[in-house]
Amino acid sequence: MFTPGSKYFVGLTGLALVSAVLYTFLVHPSDLGAFALYGLFLNAAVIAGFSFFTRDGDVATAEEAVEANTEATAPSFWPIVFAFGAAVTLLGLATNQIVFVLGIGALVGGGLEWTMQNWSDRASSDPAFNKFVRHRAVGALDYPGLAGVGLAVIAFLFSRVMLTVSKEEAPLIFIVVAAAVLVIGVLLATKPAMRSKSVVIIVAGTLVLGAAGVVSGISGERTELKVVAEEQPYTVAHRECGAEASAHYDNKANNMVALKSGVAATITVKDGKISAQLIGIPKAMDTITIPRSVATVVLFRNLDSTEHRLVANLGEAKVGTTDVMEKVGTCTQLTGKGQEQAMTVQVPKPSFANGPYSFTVPGVTGEIKLVVP
Amino acid sequence: MDTVSHVKNSRRRIVATLAGVAGTIALAGCAQNAPQDTFVPKGDNAQKIDTLQKVVFPIAGLVGVLVVALAIYIFIKFRDKGQDIPAQSHGKPTVEIILTIVPALILTVVGVFTFRTIMDLAKTTDTQMVINVTGQQWWWEYDYPAQTDQGITQPIITSGQLVIPVGTNVLLRETSRDVIHSYWIPALNGKKDAVPGRIHLLRLQADKPGIYAGQCTEFCGLSHANMRMEAIALSKEDFAKWVAGQQKGYTSPDEGTKAKEGETVFINQCSRCHQVNGIKDANGKAIISAPDENVYAGAAPNLSHLMSRTTFAGAMFDLVNQKCRDDVWKAKSDEFGAKYLTGVTTDCLNQKNLRAWLRNAPAMKPMYSDPTKLAKTGGKYRGMPNLGLSEDDIDKVVAYLSTLK
Ligand code: HEC
Ligand SMILES: [Cu+2]
Repeated sequence: MFTPGSKYFVGLTGLALVSAVLYTFLVHPSDLGAFALYGLFLNAAVIAGFSFFTRDGDVATAEEAVEANTEATAPSFWPIVFAFGAAVTLLGLATNQIVFVLGIGALVGGGLEWTMQNWSDRASSDPAFNKFVRHRAVGALDYPGLAGVGLAVIAFLFSRVMLTVSKEEAPLIFIVVAAAVLVIGVLLATKPAMRSKSVVIIVAGTLVLGAAGVVSGISGERTELKVVAEEQPYTVAHRECGAEASAHYDNKANNMVALKSGVAATITVKDGKISAQLIGIPKAMDTITIPRSVATVVLFRNLDSTEHRLVANLGEAKVGTTDVMEKVGTCTQLTGKGQEQAMTVQVPKPSFANGPYSFTVPGVTGEIKLVVP
Repeated sequence: MDTVSHVKNSRRRIVATLAGVAGTIALAGCAQNAPQDTFVPKGDNAQKIDTLQKVVFPIAGLVGVLVVALAIYIFIKFRDKGQDIPAQSHGKPTVEIILTIVPALILTVVGVFTFRTIMDLAKTTDTQMVINVTGQQWWWEYDYPAQTDQGITQPIITSGQLVIPVGTNVLLRETSRDVIHSYWIPALNGKKDAVPGRIHLLRLQADKPGIYAGQCTEFCGLSHANMRMEAIALSKEDFAKWVAGQQKGYTSPDEGTKAKEGETVFINQCSRCHQVNGIKDANGKAIISAPDENVYAGAAPNLSHLMSRTTFAGAMFDLVNQKCRDDVWKAKSDEFGAKYLTGVTTDCLNQKNLRAWLRNAPAMKPMYSDPTKLAKTGGKYRGMPNLGLSEDDIDKVVAYLSTLK
């Protein structure tokens, strides 16, 4: 009665149930693992039920099933893809996230295709029918999947272009491309005769986009907000910060959208003067007031040709358990002309207790007061 | 009972239920005492939303009713009575074009007005006063940066009740210390989320003096429902008085009084979380609270001028008794300011609420403050714990808190 598919899932159901019960008693009853195993059990049971109910795709009798299974099946390259995916995944764990993601893709894709092929090859003893059911089942996954990948590639390439062109050009390009897509879409829909020509246009467009994307990707993002500050050896001028904590820093951190939208104030050095602009307040300020115990992002923008760094002076604190007082504060790294760096300050004590607090830029007169009520 | 009357009966029951639900909803719309009614704007920004709403709701409502009515008509008229399937046709350009253009036109009109309102509500160039608003589980903190042109020479910090001058474009700079909250005073403007790590701006402006109630509108955990706020609008002169009151220095109670004993209890029990600006220990050293070490959010309400607000713990409980509360809430707008500025007098103090809070805060307002269950937050409380004070200590603390005017 049981055909191989149902057997497989009935087996999986049993195995999942046993593991789930063991896990519950031996490891943890309400752990995520227990939920996962019970989930596997339920899923496998449902699939087993289905395949049992449909007799693994309409195999009428057990004899026929046996026959279907003795039929030689065509060689498959999906196991190879699957194994390759496994290897790449492991490699990705050790090297790079992208490699890992590609590996997972190959693993899941290969595994799915392999499973589907295996199932369809044994669906009946009629190879034509088998091919048909396979096509029907896999087609439903293949085409949307491929379309998804295609769209992702297009979106990625397009985003590279948008990040490279200037702020002014970007909206224009966007409008032109969007209009072109709309026009071609309308043509395709209304003039069936255009269809063959449209294909040429689409292929050409895709090629152009591909080329532009690759070129933009290589030439890099526009520099307006990029941080490329040079690392300087420890010098007396920067003593208030001590030696740089690290020779490297994450210059992408400043491009994060989250960071940009969380900026409480921007401190600018221009013509040897320091000034502050607070979000929501039109005029320049000489005082920044921030709540206690809230991580607050301040952006430092250097518009002078000499390199500068921003220093937050956050009062003094005792060193360890001694009575020796030491300055508390934090700094950005040296920031070159036209560049920006973000600094996060979180002050647990009010400024009347431990202050005054301020922001200064060594080598530049003036300060921005920092008030914590 | 035969089947037909059975069906009729159950149908009647469904109709009755539906009518009941609809009736309740309709009646709820007529509630008299509904301070958080969205349709009663009391300031510029809320007025803009209301004006837009008055255009969009009728249009949307009309379209909605029309579509539903048509659908019902078609369901009934063309239901399966065993008739032949009618001739099938594909498409009817005129109808399709009309059905595309009409909604597009409606949406364009709605869109234009909506965008204009959104833009108006996002404007910050006409700001006259800024206030930092920080949400945390489950209360709001307000701090006013020094703004000499508004008469604020020293920063002010308070909680629960946001005090603003009337006719002034106030800009809130919202953020959060833990999870996402949302600030909403329906009479003054729409909602704006307070998100950790971000600063969101919200305009407020009140036409007349009064109390405008609000409610956190982003689910934020256990006591989300108990996280309220009130905007208090005062005339410019009264606002200046309020500012002066908030900037008054600290006076320690006289030696030998109950309040003085209360100060000692406060220093021992409460100062690790609550700041009272200017309070000093026996050696004359300023006491600085450390909520960052004791509370998950890193803050507890600043109590320097506790008795200047009429509610506490997320504007959830009255700090004044019912009579004094009615006095303030029902005051005419020209008398409101003076009444509010009186603060919590000895006669008005709601002993019952304040004592209950000090006796066992988590029993009044659910909070994560069982000391044995704080592993997830590294031993820090979310909310105020039950401090196990004796009734005697409570007497003393109440006497002390009453001096924090
Ligand atoms: C572990 C920290 C902690 C300690 C200790 C503590 N509190 Fe609190 N208290 C809080 C927190 C947090 C809140 C805000 C609770 C809320 O509204 O959800 C609060 C709220 C209050 C409020 C309401 C303030 C307002 O403006 O809304 C009062 C009054 C108060 N506490 C008094 C006291 C007194 C008096 C003591 C000492 C006997 C004390 N607290 C000890 C954390 C603490
Ligand atoms: Cu909240």
